Amino acid sequence: MTDPLRPIEVALGDEGLFFTRDDDEDAYRVAFKSEGDRYFVVSYRDDPTFVMIGSGWALPGGVDPVEAVDVANRLNVRKKFVKTALWQEESDVLFTVELCVGNASEIRPHFGRLLNVLRDTAAEFFEQLRPEAPEP
Amino acid sequence: MPSAREVIKHFIESEGHRVDAAPVDPETGVGELLFRTRGQVFSVTTSEDDENILSISTAYEIPDWAREQQNTEALDRVHKEHPTVVFTLAHDGGLFVATLDERAASSQELMNTFWTLVARLRDAGAQAIEDIVDRTESKVAAEKFINSLLTDFQ
Repeated sequence: MTDPLRPIEVALGDEGLFFTRDDDEDAYRVAFKSEGDRYFVVSYRDDPTFVMIGSGWALPGGVDPVEAVDVANRLNVRKKFVKTALWQEESDVLFTVELCVGNASEIRPHFGRLLNVLRDTAAEFFEQLRPEAPEP
Repeated sequence: MPSAREVIKHFIESEGHRVDAAPVDPETGVGELLFRTRGQVFSVTTSEDDENILSISTAYEIPDWAREQQNTEALDRVHKEHPTVVFTLAHDGGLFVATLDERAASSQELMNTFWTLVARLRDAGAQAIEDIVDRTESKVAAEKFINSLLTDFQ
């Protein structure tokens, strides 16, 4: 069977980024970094039309999980493409773009935009979690 | 000991980006690195004489219909808002280059702030191209309006 994530490798080449592969018996996986931040792309062997692009971050200490869920919910309502979820007993936050494609080459022309949306959503999430400066 | 160029090249690569490196000029000690991020190519100039300085540049193409003399003024205005970024028109006004020079206490400090510097340069460049295009578009719209008034009154 052809590699369903090969077009993602080409898209990463377009973006000037290195990547590594970590396929296993269940899934095809690509890992890469952009500006030092880590991202992944996953497609499952039993469902190769599903492609997920994402990044995971540890929540900073002292963050109220209820507030974090609230921020995530508001982003989920407002943001195109990206799903924001608290993860692993609410100690991590996961930003994902989940797509159904006939072929991952359909993603290639939009890959830069999807990466930007992931970056922007993560930046907004952490910006909104930041406590406001006290009134002078 | 690795050269300043090698240190920065290794850093950018470790952050996930492919880097094209031009050889260091043996007379000036200046080296150039090229990499892409967010669809834009950036050039980093290093100096073997001083590993604590670098210069980052990126070019923006000005659309044909927006190439005019007043773009210099637009770039001057954006430079006032972003004084650390210098703009240079090139190719007969067909593009401008945005450049940011940075001096740090150490090469490690340069690397710690590297993506902030890139973001600062990108913000200034994006604002400059937006100003040029917006101003030209509004000018074209105003001219169309004035011309239509003149036509109506004839």
